[in-house]
Amino acid sequence: MTLTERDPAPVGAVAPALALEARAVEHRFSPGRGLPAVSFSHAGPGCLAVVGSNGAGKSTLLRLLAGLLRPTAGTLTLTVDGGEVPFPARRRVVGYVSPELSFYDELSVGENLDFVASARGLASPAERVRVSLERVGMTARADDRVAALSSGMKQRLRLAFALLHQPPVLLLDEPGSHLDSEGRDVTESIIDGHRRNGLVVLATHDERENQRADSSIRLRGGLGHSA
Amino acid sequence: MPTPASGSAAVWAILRKECLSEWRTRYGLNAALLFAVTTLASVSFAVGRLGDRTDVLAAMLWIVLLFAALSSLSHTFVREVEGHTLTLLRMSAAPTPIAVGKLLFNLLFLVMIELVTVPLFLVLMGAPPPNWPSLLLILALGSLGLALAATLAGAVIAQSRGRGALYAGVSFPLLLPVLAAAVSATRAQWSGAGMAMEIRLLASYAFALLAASLILYDHLWED
Repeated sequence: MTLTERDPAPVGAVAPALALEARAVEHRFSPGRGLPAVSFSHAGPGCLAVVGSNGAGKSTLLRLLAGLLRPTAGTLTLTVDGGEVPFPARRRVVGYVSPELSFYDELSVGENLDFVASARGLASPAERVRVSLERVGMTARADDRVAALSSGMKQRLRLAFALLHQPPVLLLDEPGSHLDSEGRDVTESIIDGHRRNGLVVLATHDERENQRADSSIRLRGGLGHSA
Repeated sequence: MPTPASGSAAVWAILRKECLSEWRTRYGLNAALLFAVTTLASVSFAVGRLGDRTDVLAAMLWIVLLFAALSSLSHTFVREVEGHTLTLLRMSAAPTPIAVGKLLFNLLFLVMIELVTVPLFLVLMGAPPPNWPSLLLILALGSLGLALAATLAGAVIAQSRGRGALYAGVSFPLLLPVLAAAVSATRAQWSGAGMAMEIRLLASYAFALLAASLILYDHLWED
């Protein structure tokens, strides 16, 4: 299967076959920092939790999956419908939520998402923006400048950004952070909706979010365990 | 690799975003115009009109254009790093369309600066009437070279720690051939001397920078 920017393998009626496989994958920023060697495999659809203490490498693992980093050793493959997705093309098939993801303060919520939709070459960007904002309950905030948003609203905007291109894989790094109970309900409904036909990889400390996973990987001292 | 259609959509989206951000923040334009106007006014008050000194006029024109534009040109990528928006950008488009979009914005920015600076320069410095077709060609090729060199250097140093100091070191050898050829050609169009060699140099250097940029941009954020 050839994935193009305009045809980003949407999560639709027919669920794509999704698989992750890590073989002694690691990424070291410096000695003792980063992701220690970890091996695991997981086939979607479903929800995979990545747990571990602070600094264990959860965010680094998600950045590797998103194609934002490359392993310094080992391999990490993401397969969609039998075809391996190379690192530079990962952004087309993953939706990424992370605390490090920031938006342009001087632009409005809608302008930020419209920019992303246009840069991705999506058909009907305005409609995609509308649907994404509706899913995270931010329709009324479309014209607000990002600089004026609370941290909870920025977190919802990150979710809208991740959903914009209807990716088959969602990578969620601490998706519940800064969210109120309504925001957490929104996040949980997104996870529950997506896991049926797509793959959700969830890095979290939140026990409530963790319980939604089908399986989990615990990162500790360089060992990965599939539970 | 992005398809041509998605690549051009990304370039256009980046260019529109850069223009909108600049319009909302006036991050670079006001500072650049202030620099150009105050420099020209100060020199005009201090030394008067330099009508017959075409060598000094040519050097001054390009120095004013370079310094007025450089602070903004070099910051197109640094702003993404310091504003923590680089991840958003990297998840939205491939490196080459991002860099090409930013290059086009830098080129547009230079044109805006030149639209104000060049007429003001000619009036305040009492410069002889230029050979307009030649001067416009020199400005076009010189601006293309400056934008290419500044964008490439800005992209390379954006994620480094000592980027302020590094930018000067990386950009100086890239900018020097553009400036030398542009100054020489600008002087020649006033004096009536031949400038074919300088034009060829500017054009071929811009082409070489463009080719190098398109090769390097694809590997910008590989670690």
